[in-house]
This record gives sequence, C-alpha cells and structure tokens, in this order.
Amino acid sequence: MRISTNTIYDAGTSGLVRQSSDLFRTQQQLSTGKRVLAPSDDPVASATALEIDQIKAINDQQAVNRRDATSAIGFAESQISTAGDLLASIRERIIQAGNGAMSDTDLKSIATDIRGSFSGLMGVANSRDAFGDYLFSGYRSNTQPFAGSIEAGVTYAGDDGQREAQVGSSRRLPISDPGSDVFMRMRTGNGQFTMAPNAANTGSAVSDLGSVTDGVAWNAASNGGSYKVVFNVTNNVTTYDIVDNTSGNSLLTGAAPGAAPYPRTYVDGDSITLASQGAEPAFDLGARFSITGKPATGDSFSLDRSATQSVFETIGDVVKALEAGTNGNPAAIARLNNALSAGLGNIDQAQEALLTVRSRMGARASELQALDALGSDVDLQFQTQLSQLRDVDYTSAISRLTQQQTYLQAAQQSFLKVSGLSLFNFIGG
Amino acid sequence: MGTQLYNIGITGLNAAQAGLITTGHNISNASTPGFSRQQVILGTNDPQLTGSGFLGQGARVETVRRVYSQFLTAQVMEAQTQNAEYASYSDQISALDNLLADQEAGLSPAMSDFFDAIQSVSSSPTSLASRQSVISSAQAMTTRFNTLGQRLDQVSASLNGQISGAVTEINQLVSQIATYNDQIAVAQSTTGSTRLANDTLDARDKLITQLNEVVRVTQLAQSDGSINLFIGNGQPLVVGGSSFNLTATPSLEDPSRTEVTYTAPGGAVLRLQEDTITGGKLGGLLAFRRDTLDNAQNALGRVAIGFAEQFNAQHKLGQDLNGAAGTNFFNVLAGKALPSALNSTVAAAQVNVTISNSSDLTTSDYRLTYDGTTYTLTRQSDNVSWSAATLGGLPPAGSPQGFTLDSGSTTLAAGDAFLIQPTRSGSIDLRTVLTDPRMLAMAMPVATSATLANTGTGAISAGSVTSTTGLPLAGNITLTFDATNNVFNVTGGPGGTLAFNPTTDSGGVSYTLAGQGGFTFQMSGTPRNGDSFVIKANASGQGDNRNLLALAALQDKKTLAGGATGFQGAYAQMVAEIGAKAREVKVNQTAQGVLLSRVTESQQSLSGVNLDEEAANLLRYQQAYQAAGKMIELASRLFDTLLNIGG
Repeated sequence: MRISTNTIYDAGTSGLVRQSSDLFRTQQQLSTGKRVLAPSDDPVASATALEIDQIKAINDQQAVNRRDATSAIGFAESQISTAGDLLASIRERIIQAGNGAMSDTDLKSIATDIRGSFSGLMGVANSRDAFGDYLFSGYRSNTQPFAGSIEAGVTYAGDDGQREAQVGSSRRLPISDPGSDVFMRMRTGNGQFTMAPNAANTGSAVSDLGSVTDGVAWNAASNGGSYKVVFNVTNNVTTYDIVDNTSGNSLLTGAAPGAAPYPRTYVDGDSITLASQGAEPAFDLGARFSITGKPATGDSFSLDRSATQSVFETIGDVVKALEAGTNGNPAAIARLNNALSAGLGNIDQAQEALLTVRSRMGARASELQALDALGSDVDLQFQTQLSQLRDVDYTSAISRLTQQQTYLQAAQQSFLKVSGLSLFNFIGG
Repeated sequence: MGTQLYNIGITGLNAAQAGLITTGHNISNASTPGFSRQQVILGTNDPQLTGSGFLGQGARVETVRRVYSQFLTAQVMEAQTQNAEYASYSDQISALDNLLADQEAGLSPAMSDFFDAIQSVSSSPTSLASRQSVISSAQAMTTRFNTLGQRLDQVSASLNGQISGAVTEINQLVSQIATYNDQIAVAQSTTGSTRLANDTLDARDKLITQLNEVVRVTQLAQSDGSINLFIGNGQPLVVGGSSFNLTATPSLEDPSRTEVTYTAPGGAVLRLQEDTITGGKLGGLLAFRRDTLDNAQNALGRVAIGFAEQFNAQHKLGQDLNGAAGTNFFNVLAGKALPSALNSTVAAAQVNVTISNSSDLTTSDYRLTYDGTTYTLTRQSDNVSWSAATLGGLPPAGSPQGFTLDSGSTTLAAGDAFLIQPTRSGSIDLRTVLTDPRMLAMAMPVATSATLANTGTGAISAGSVTSTTGLPLAGNITLTFDATNNVFNVTGGPGGTLAFNPTTDSGGVSYTLAGQGGFTFQMSGTPRNGDSFVIKANASGQGDNRNLLALAALQDKKTLAGGATGFQGAYAQMVAEIGAKAREVKVNQTAQGVLLSRVTESQQSLSGVNLDEEAANLLRYQQAYQAAGKMIELASRLFDTLLNIGG
C-alpha cells in the first residue's frame, strides 16, 4: 500500500499522544488512589458507591445515636439506682420503727430521717440531664415533673411520653422513662390486694400484707375484690365473719351477716383463708392473710384489690403515722404497726417497680452493645465495598504504569527512526 | 530532418519540465491540508504520415490532474462530521461528569449532613444549639442544590454562545464555498471538463470538510463543476454561487434557549427541527442539550422539589418548641409555564404550574396547546398526549404527572401554546425559609397517657398524627374500658366505641381517629374494667422527638418516581445516567477516531504526497530533461555533419 508522508507523521504523533494520555491516567489513579476518577469511568460503580455512601452515613449516624442513647440510659439508670438506695434506707428505718420499743420521740426522729430521704427522692425525681432537660417528665422536658410535700401530697406535672432514638435501621429504642412509670404507678399492698384496718378499731389486732395463693381464683373474684373481716368478742371467744362489700352478704353463710358470734373462730396469728371450710357455702378467692393481736368487738379490716399509689404518698403515709405517735395507747400502737406493715409492703412494691425499670434499662443498654457490634461489622463491610468500587489496585496499576512507559518509549524511538528515513538524504551532495 | 529532431527534443524538454514543476508543486504542498497530489498526463503528438508510414512527433502534456477519489473524500467527511459531533458532546458532558465526580462537592454529602444534624437533635430536642445546626446544615444543603443548579444553567447559557459561534462559522464557510463554486464554474466553462482547476477544487473540498466539522451537510455535484450543499431536511445552504444563511435566535417557547433558524431563498424564516441538525460541533452541542443537559436539570430539580415537598409535609404535622403547629421548612416550589412568543398578546394568558404530588413527577418537559375548544398536553420525553375541555382536567386524574395547571384569572386564546417545565428550576429556587430554631417541629401535636389509677396492664402507644385535619384537638379524648362488652367507650373526639378483646387483642391493635389528625395509636395488654386512657394535645411537649424520627426516616424512604426511589437514589441515578452517557460518548469517540484515521489513511494513501516517490520522480524527470537536451545536442551535431560535408 502507498503511504503518504503525512500519514507517517500523523499516525506517529497520534500514537504518541494516546500512549502518553494512558500513562497520565494511570499516574493520576496512582496519585489519587482512586480507580474511578469521574463517574464516566465506571457509571455503575459510581452510582452504587453513592448509595453505599448514604447507607454508610446512616449507619455512622446510628452509631452516634447509640452512643447518645447509651449515655442517656446510663445517666437515668444512675439516678434510679440512687432512688433505690434511698428506698432501701427508708425500708430499714421502717423496720427499725416497728420493733416495738420505740418512744414517740424515737419515732419522730425516725420520721425526720425519712423526711430527709423523701427530699432526696424528690431531688432524684426532678433531676435534669446535661442539656437542662428534666429526666422524668416524659415529653415535657422543660416542666418540673414533681412538686409538693408530704403534707400536701406530690403531683406529677409531666406526661407519659417516652423519647426514642433510631439506633438501628429498623430499631427505635426508648431512651427515657416517664416519671409516671418510675415513681407514680406503684401497686399498693402485696401487689394484688391491700389490707387496711378500720380507723375506729380499738383492739390491738395487726394485719400482715396477706398473699394470693391462686391468682386465677383471685382474679375471677365476682365482685372485683372488695371484702372485709369483722370481729366479735363474746365470753373471751373471738369470732369473725367475712363480708362481701358489694353484696353486703357474708361469704361464710351466704346471707346477710347475722348477729354475733360469727361462724369462724379467731386464733391469734393463724392465717385466714378466703375459701370455704366445712359446711360453708362453696367459695374460693385464692387469697389469705393473717392477723395477730387482740381484735375488739366491732373491729374490722378491709381487703381490697390493689390500687396504684405514688412512692411519695407511700412515704408520706409512713411519716404521718410515725409522727402521730402512740402515747403508749395499745390501739394507737396497733394503728402504727398496721401503717408500718402497709408502708413496708408499699415500699417493697416501689423497689420492685424501680428494679423493673432498671432491668428494662439494662436490657436496652445490652441491646445497644449488640447493635454497636453489628454496626461496626456492617461499617467494615461498607468500607470494603466502597474500596472495591472506587479504589485503585496499586499492584496492577504500578505494573500497568511500567508497561505503558515501555510502550511510550518504544513508540518514541520507532517514530524517530521511521521519520528519519528519506530518499532526499541521498540526492545531491 | 534536423528541424524535426529539434522539435521532438523540445517536446521532450517541455514534458520533463512540466513533470519537474508538478513534482516541485507536490513537494511544496506535501503538508498543505486538503491537497491532492498532482500528476502530469503526457500524450504523443500526432504522427507525420510519410511514405514509409507514421513518424512520431514527440510528446505533449495532455493535462495535469489531481489524484482524487470522490468516494474516499466523502467517507473522510462523514467520519469527520461524526467525530466532531462526539468530540463536542464529549467536551460538554465531561464538564458535568467532573462536576459530579467530586465526592465533597456533590449533593450526597450535603444531604447526609442535613439528616445527621436532624438525628443529633433526637437526644436533646430542647437544645437550641442542636436545633440551630439543623437549620445551618439545611442552608448548606440548599446552597449546594442552588450551586449545582446554577452550574447547569451556566452550562446551558454557554451552549447558547457556542451555538451562535457555530452558526457564524457555518455562514462564513458557505459564502466562501459559494465563491469557489463560481470560480470553478467559470474556469470549467473555458477549459472544459478535462482540464480542471485542481487547486481550487482542493480548496473547496477543504472548506466543505471544515463545514462538516461544524455541521453535517449533504452534497450534490452539478455538471458545471459547482457543488450544492443542503442541511437538515434538505434546506439548501449553497446553490451554485449563492449561499443562504442560518441564524441563532432565542427560542419562541423558551427565550433562554438559543435555536437555529434558516432564512429560505424567499426570505422566509424557518425554524429548523432540532433533531435534524446532526453531526459536527453544532450537532454535538444540540444533542448534548437535548439528551443530557435538559434531563440533568430536570432530574436535579425533581430531587429538590421532592425533598422540599415531602419534608414540608412531615414538618407541618409536627409541633414546635413553642407548642405551635409546624410551618414550611423549605419554600414551596412551583413549576414554570413559558408562554410562546406567538401567543395572543390580547389575552396575555398566564398558566400556573402547582406541584401536587412530587412522587408522580417525571423529568420530562411538557407542551400545552389550546385550539379554542380543547387543551392538549404533550409529554415531550415520549410524546404521550392528553386532551381535555378544561385546563383543570390536565393532566388527567388517571395519569397523574405530579402537577396541576390553572390559568388564574386569565383565559387562553385559541392557538396559545406554553412550554411547561415542572421541575427545571427546582434546584435553583430551593430555599430554607425556617430560620428560628424554636420553630423546628420535632414533636407531634397529640400525646397519650394512661390514667395513674389504672390497675390493669393495658397500655396505649405514643401514636403519631398523619394529617392536620381536626388539629389542634378540640378537647381530651378519653377511652374507658368496659370489660363486660370488651370495648373502649370513647368520650370526646369521635365518640362511640372501639372494640378491644383482651383475650385476643392483648398483643396490640391499631386504631386511627381520622377526624383527629388521623391519629394512629395502638392499644395492648389487658386493661381492667374502668381503666382509662387519655388522648390529648401535647401541651409543653418540648422533649417529644416523634416528628423528628419521622423526618429523619425520610432520608432513605422511597418517595420519588412513584415510590421507586428516594432522594439519594434519584440523585445517584442522575449521576449514573450522565456517567454512562459520558462513557458511551467517549467510547464512540474513540471508535470514530479509529475509523476516521483508517479512512483518512485510505484517502491519503491515494491522494497524499509521498516524498520518497516525489524524490524518485524528480530524478526521473531530471533524467528525461537531460536526455531530451542530449537529443537536441545530437540534432545540432547531425546538422554540423551536413555542414561539414559542404566545407
């Protein structure tokens, strides 16, 4: 084929230009560490990388959310643990007060001590986080949740709101607990029912907290669970009847309570079961309690399904009972002991409620840890993927650089040789 | 006899001289662009008839012709015009490609930063500093949207300038070609078709090649040697010695867009259909604008509009730090309707384009026409059109396009046309309008609570609002459980009852109060008879972050293109489309470059000058010249011989 001289030069230079632009590109890849310099280099990889960038950013942000959640939960947990300590000390004081040998002065000083704990507990309940937000006011983080005193009672001004954080791609975790759950909704008595002496009792009878032996039977109680036990003393024999408060009938006879003496005989300290015995009409409420001391005629104790009461009210009741004193009066001592027994039960319920909250928090904290481990695993995967999509493989790039360098040199040298050939070199002279 | 010998010798000298001159011409023009090597064509003189037969009378130069193939030259021109189109497309698109390549300058990091800032508020919804950072990062993100949009606008504006430049170049070239046509026709009429004006023909071919590098033209050779050139659908640019001009003018529909018009022989101005102008630099510019830039602007605008609309909608469901309902976070974006310059100036109708649902938006532009009775809307990406008797009936409810049209207080005149651009300017127009950090609506306006005295295990979820209907709540709504009938009696709000059977429903049942903000909540557990739950206004709920979580969830929610993709996905799709197109053009350009060098080689192989060959010719003609000279010397000596006989 005929070759024009122009073609020799054109082909030679375009070859050189192409070789050096390839070389430049490889050099650029090496100096930036990126395989994909512009989306056009690998459109699919660039688009995928953008998507992964976003997922990775979300994952990173969730790690920050988890860190914030962990610290928020940790802070709240420490506050609740303080509250638990305060309750434990109050509990000790109540036991101390109940040992029987206390003068009114001693009781008052115990009451003063408990008042101190009460203030401490109010402080905990009104505590704020690092941003100045109240921890236990639900959504109302700028509203002081608890206000009041033992005398006036404590009211809750927060709400039931529970703040959540996005800690995983499909997991929102609560990071706060409203004060209503932590301090307000405590069951009274033994958690199922409460025993309360009639205020007009004159005997020295003291009730324990009682217990439910058959939950199904207790829950099935036809009247919703409201009874009372009434005592009578005739000829030094104490008898009692159990009355359904709703129907007004005796459980033991099925009819309206008759005149004393009553169907069952009272033995100090024996347990009284709410189930039929002997020839009594059949009934079984699955509950029992025991009463110690000497009830007087007409004394009664009511048994009601547990209600809810705040921990502050529980403490207030105890303090008020302690401060009322006994003045050595057996009926007053019985009232105090009944109050202390009920108080102890309520404090136990409160402690249990706090423990429940703490264990919930613990579960959240450990879930956060698990999510963290998962999150960093996933992050590593994303990094690997991004690197595979975008980053240059140095080994192959360096070997390519050397190769392209060789090609360019060969092209340069061969071009010089070919372009130097001309017949004119030999004409004339 | 002596004279004859002299004469033959001189014809040889002349022939050799012509050969030397032509070779010299070839050597001198070896690197002249468009030059075809020339050859001297020799013939024998008419022989003399003698008694012993014909006696040769020497040589004569028949013609000097260029070594040329119409076919190969046409191939080079075609390859050239295609190559120039790819090159100009590639120049333009690589600017976009590089703009989007920057990981830091792109839109993605700005969007991620914005959502990060939102999430950071979740642990401290009352912190004004965290809230301020949301607004700051929103402003940074809107600025990024604006910058990208403006950058695309600048590209579009610079295209206008380049299109005008290309048109000027075309006009200059066609008038020069027409002049050459004239010269060639005149020359050919005197010399006839066998003796051509080689160098003028080469010069004209070179101009036609240059013209093809600007735009593709079709050629038609005429018998008088001139060449007629046509563009587009066959509009003549050059006919013989006359040329016709193109003009770059603002489009009638969109004044910001330069179009190419053609002034026909009669003087009438014709709009050239854009996709018929192909090849060359101009073809590349127009194709880039049509296929890539318009799409990119619309796609980016759609992300901006979708972002603003969805975020605003969720934000308005919320409640701010002052307890007020959320307001627009970003400005409300609207589409554009550009009236045609030919529209009736009497009616001066205006059309408003309101975005109704960003998830239905496409990235196409639309054309609206009115013929006096019927409105017709045509989607330009695929030419699907809809007609309706009223403007409000477009686009039809059955094929939502994400926007609605109205003409406000004006009325369209018959023959009016509008270019509808729903998303074109979205990215440039986006602004953050919320500036007070207290007005970030991170809470929800409705809260729930369980009455403290409840003794069952029933629970009510925090719930969420899904509309603004009936908000703020007129009063508290109390749900009281009736264990006999297994229902919640509802006091306040919608009233009535909600069925709930603890035996089967304790795992949780959802309810929605449509008239009360579409409030959706869940009841679970086992409530005891008489237990009550309250749904009420979220008074003082500064610590509530429910709406914040809902806003943050928008980040990867698939809300665009009918739920097929999210904001980030739509942006990634745009980047991928531009990247893929840039790659395609680059690959085509490389392939076309190879093709161009192949056909150029073939053409040069025929017409190009090879200096070695010319050197050999030089020697050949030199020797021929010397030989002819020797012959004259010999003739002289022969003559002397005769003279000497006499002496």
